[in-house]
Amino acid sequence: MISSSVEQLIEKIRSKELSSDEVIEDFVRISDELDPKFKAYISKCKVGGNGGLLNGIPFAIKDNMELVGTKTTCASKILENYTSPYTATAVKKLIDLGGTVIAKTNMDEFAMGASTEYSAFFSTKNPWDVQRVPGGSSGGSAAAVSSGMVPFALGSDTGGSIRQPASFCGIVGYKPTYGLVSRYGLVAFASSLDQIGPLTRNVRDAALIGNFLIGKDPKDATTVDHRIDLLDGIEEPVGGFKIAVPVEFVEGLSDKVRVLFDQTLEKLKKIGIKIDEVSIPSIRYAVSVYYIIAPAEASSNLSRYDGIRYGLSTTEGSIDEIYMKTKGEGFGREVKRRIMIGTFTLSATYYDAYFDKAQRVRSKLEDEFSKIFESYDAIIGPTTPAIAFKFGQLSSPLEYYLQDVYTIPANLAGLPAISVPMGFVDKMPMGLQIMSKRFDDGKMLRIARNFEKVRGDFPSPEVSR
Amino acid sequence: MRSVVGLEIHSQLLTQTKAFCSCKNDSNSAPNTNICPVCTGQPGALPVLNEKVVEFAIRAAIALKCEVHEVSSFDRKNYFYPDLPKGYQITQYFHPIATNGYLDLENGKRVRIRRIHIEEDAGKMVHSSENITESKESLIDFNRCGIPLIEIVTEPDMERSDEAREFMEKLRDILRAIDVCSGNMEEGALRCDANVSVVDDDGRSSSRVEVKNINSFKYVQYAIDYEIERISSVLRSGKDVKHETRGWDFTTKTTVSMRSKEEENDYRYFPEPDLPVLVLSKDEIKTIMENLPELPDEKAKRYENVHMISHDNAVVLSKDKKLSSYFENAVSKGIDPRDASNWIVNDLLSLFNADSEEFDPEKIPLDHLKLLIDYTNSSKISRLSAREVLAGMYKSGKDPKTLIEEMNLLQISNEDALVPVAKAVIDENPSVVEQYRNGKSSVIGFFVGNVMKKTKGKADPKIVGDLVKRLLDGEHK
Repeated sequence: MISSSVEQLIEKIRSKELSSDEVIEDFVRISDELDPKFKAYISKCKVGGNGGLLNGIPFAIKDNMELVGTKTTCASKILENYTSPYTATAVKKLIDLGGTVIAKTNMDEFAMGASTEYSAFFSTKNPWDVQRVPGGSSGGSAAAVSSGMVPFALGSDTGGSIRQPASFCGIVGYKPTYGLVSRYGLVAFASSLDQIGPLTRNVRDAALIGNFLIGKDPKDATTVDHRIDLLDGIEEPVGGFKIAVPVEFVEGLSDKVRVLFDQTLEKLKKIGIKIDEVSIPSIRYAVSVYYIIAPAEASSNLSRYDGIRYGLSTTEGSIDEIYMKTKGEGFGREVKRRIMIGTFTLSATYYDAYFDKAQRVRSKLEDEFSKIFESYDAIIGPTTPAIAFKFGQLSSPLEYYLQDVYTIPANLAGLPAISVPMGFVDKMPMGLQIMSKRFDDGKMLRIARNFEKVRGDFPSPEVSR
Repeated sequence: MRSVVGLEIHSQLLTQTKAFCSCKNDSNSAPNTNICPVCTGQPGALPVLNEKVVEFAIRAAIALKCEVHEVSSFDRKNYFYPDLPKGYQITQYFHPIATNGYLDLENGKRVRIRRIHIEEDAGKMVHSSENITESKESLIDFNRCGIPLIEIVTEPDMERSDEAREFMEKLRDILRAIDVCSGNMEEGALRCDANVSVVDDDGRSSSRVEVKNINSFKYVQYAIDYEIERISSVLRSGKDVKHETRGWDFTTKTTVSMRSKEEENDYRYFPEPDLPVLVLSKDEIKTIMENLPELPDEKAKRYENVHMISHDNAVVLSKDKKLSSYFENAVSKGIDPRDASNWIVNDLLSLFNADSEEFDPEKIPLDHLKLLIDYTNSSKISRLSAREVLAGMYKSGKDPKTLIEEMNLLQISNEDALVPVAKAVIDENPSVVEQYRNGKSSVIGFFVGNVMKKTKGKADPKIVGDLVKRLLDGEHK
C-alpha cells in the first residue's frame, strides 16, 4: 500500500481488492505513525467527495490552498487561526472526483523558501535523511508522498517549490504551463508565477492528476481554455526527439552531480534522443529577475493581512499601530525581507531601474526560450545544483536563493516543467528537470515517462515506523 | 489674476453586479450583505472582470468623444486603509481604456478630457462619532467595495467655478442619457475632486491645490470659488501657496488642509498580474457606438431644427430623458411643439422645482395637458386661469375639465354678461373717464384690468377691451 501509485490504488478499488474506506483508513493510520517523525502535516482533516474516479484515494494539500472549514495557515502566524470560507478550484476538482483530503502540509511561510525552515511552526524532515531538509516550499507535500503517508499531494510552484522538494525527496513533481490550472483559492505569493501541480510517485500519476486539475476556471482570469489529455500517447517512444542542454544549467556542477547527469544523458541517447548543448544567456539573470518580480508581487499580495477582517490582529491603538503590530508579530523574517524588497523595487523612484527592467529581461528570456523550442522538443538539466542540504546549512539569503537557480526560468517564462528522480548522489536522490514549450505538457510528460522506463524502478526511502 | 480649474470625476456604473465578482452592485442593502471572498479580499480569491463594466466605460468614452483603445490593461494602486480589503485598488494607471475626448460648454468653451479609466470603489467606514478622530470605533461596510467606477480626468481648461459646475451638470446629463450612472452627487454615485491654481498678472502660476469631498453640484461652485479666493489672498499677501490636498467642509463652507504633497502615498503602481490585458475589437466598439442613445446636445439641436422651439427650451428638455420623452410624446399627440415646450418648461417644471421634486411624467398625463392647452388656445379659459388649473392638476391629479368646473373658471366670453360689470367700472371712475376723453387712450388698460379683477380673471381680456372702448365711445347700445 505504502508504495502503491494512484493508478494501482484506483485499480485495486475498482477490482474490489480493496475498499475505498480501507484505503483511506490505511493511509490515515500510516500518516499517524509517520508524521511525528517527519512532521509533514500542519493539520489533519477528512474532506472528501464520493462517486468518482478518485473514490477512496486520499491526498494531502499544501497549507496555502483553501478548503472550506479547514484552517489555511500558509505556515504563518498571521493566518494561524484563519478558517477557509471557500474551497480552491483545484482542490474542489479532486474532491468532486471522489478524492479525500486527509492533511494540509507544511511549507515555508507563504511559500517563501526552499526548505520548510521558514515555516512559522516547525520544519519538515527529509524521509531519506532526517538531518536534511525536504526542500521547499512544498516540503511537507514532498515528504508526505516520499514517505508513503499519501499516494500524492498538491503543491504550488512559484520558483521551483514543487520541483525542488520533489528532487530532494526522490519523487516526481510537475509544474504545469502557467494558465492551465486555476489559482483560485491558492493563497497568492507571486501571482504571475504561482502554479498548482501534483507531487507523485511516478510520471503516469503526475499526468493522471494533472488531467484532473487543468481547465479554464471562470474564477481565474489567467486560466486558458486549452484541452489536452496528458496521458494520451505518454507511452509512445521518443526516438528522434531533440533535447537541448543549456550550458547555463551544467556549468559549475560538482563532479558527482556531473557524473550522474552524464549517465542520465547516456540513457536518453539510448532511447534515440539527440542531445545538443546550447546557450540561453538570459538564464544567468533569472534569479535576479525573480527576486525583483516575486517580492514586488508578494509585497502587494500580502498587504491584505492587516488585522482588520481576519487572521492575527492586535486591536489596540491607532490604525497605523494596528497595522504595524499585526504585521510585525504575524510575519516571519523571510516574509518581511521580501515585502521590504518588493516595496522598495515598486516605489516610484526605483520602479524603472528595478521592476520595469526586470519585466523587460523576463520578456527577453521568454524570447530566448521560444527560439530554442523552434528546434528542440525539450530543455533538460538537473533540477537542483546539489542534493538536499542539512538544516541550518545555508545561512546567507543569497546562497539560499541560489537553490532555485535551475527552476526559476520555467516560472518566469510560464513553461511546463517536471522533476523526475534520476539517481543518487551521496545516498540522496536528485531530480532531472525537463521543460517544454508552453502547453507542450503532454510531450514533456512523454519524455519524462520514457526516461523513467529506461532509468528503471526508483526506490522509496526506508521508513521505520 | 486668472484661475485655472481641472476636474477628476468618479462615476459609479449602473451595472447589475460588481466590477470583479458577481456580488450585487447595491451599496444601500443591509451592511455586508452583498459581499464574497473576492470583494472582501480573502486569501486566494481572484478578480474576474465584469464585461458590462467595459461596455459602460466605452459608452461613456464615446459620449465624451474619447479615443477608445483596443488594448488597455489593469494595474494595482497600493495603499493601506481599512476600507480597502486587498490593500490595493485595481485601476488602469499605465494604459487607460480611453483618452483624448472633450465636452463643450454653453459658452462655446471646449473642456478637453485627458483620460477615462476603469477602477473599483472601496468599502464604506461608519464611525461611532461624527468624525474619525473622535471615534472610539469604526465599522466597515463592504457592500460598496468593488462597485465599478470610471474616473474621468479633464485638462485644466476651466477658469471659473460656474464653468466647473456646468461641466459637472452636463456630464451628469450625458451619463444619465446613456444609462451609465445615476448621476447622484449627494449619494456619492458621482464624485468630483477639483484641481485649482491661480495665475497672477505676470503669468506666474501658484501651486496646484486639490479639493476633495465635494458632494453636490452647488458645492462644486462654492468650493472652487472659496479656493480661488483663498489662493488669491495668499498670493496677494506675498506668500507661497502650498501644494496640498484640501477637503471641502460643507458645514463651514470652507476648505481644510488634509495633507501636503510630501505626505502623499507612493502608490507603487504595477501591472495587475491577476487580470489579462483587455483587448477590444473594432467591431465591439462600433456596435456600442451604434447603439448609443442620442446625447443631450444632439437632441437639443434636433428640437431646435425640427420642432423650431427656442434654444433655451431645447436645452432644458434635452437634459433629462423623462422630460424629453414627455415632450416628444406631447408632440406626437398633436400638441404644437412650441406650446408643448413652453408649457413644460415654463409652467410644469416650475411646479416640480417649487417642491424640489424631480420631474415625473405620471403626475400630469399627456391627455390632460393636451386638454388644458386646447382650452387655453380656444380662449375657453385665460392663460392666467390655466396656470391655476395646471397647479390643481399637479396637486390633485384631476383632469382639467373637472377642475375648471370646480374652480368655476370658464371664461365669460358672452359679452352681455360683461356689460353690467364694465358699466360699473366706468361709473366708479369718472376721473379716468375724463382722461380718456382728453385723448389718453392707454387708460383702456385700467378699465380692462378692473373688469378682469371683478370677474376673477374669467373674462376674455380681448372681448372686455373691445366692450369698454365701445362703452366709452358711446357706441354700445
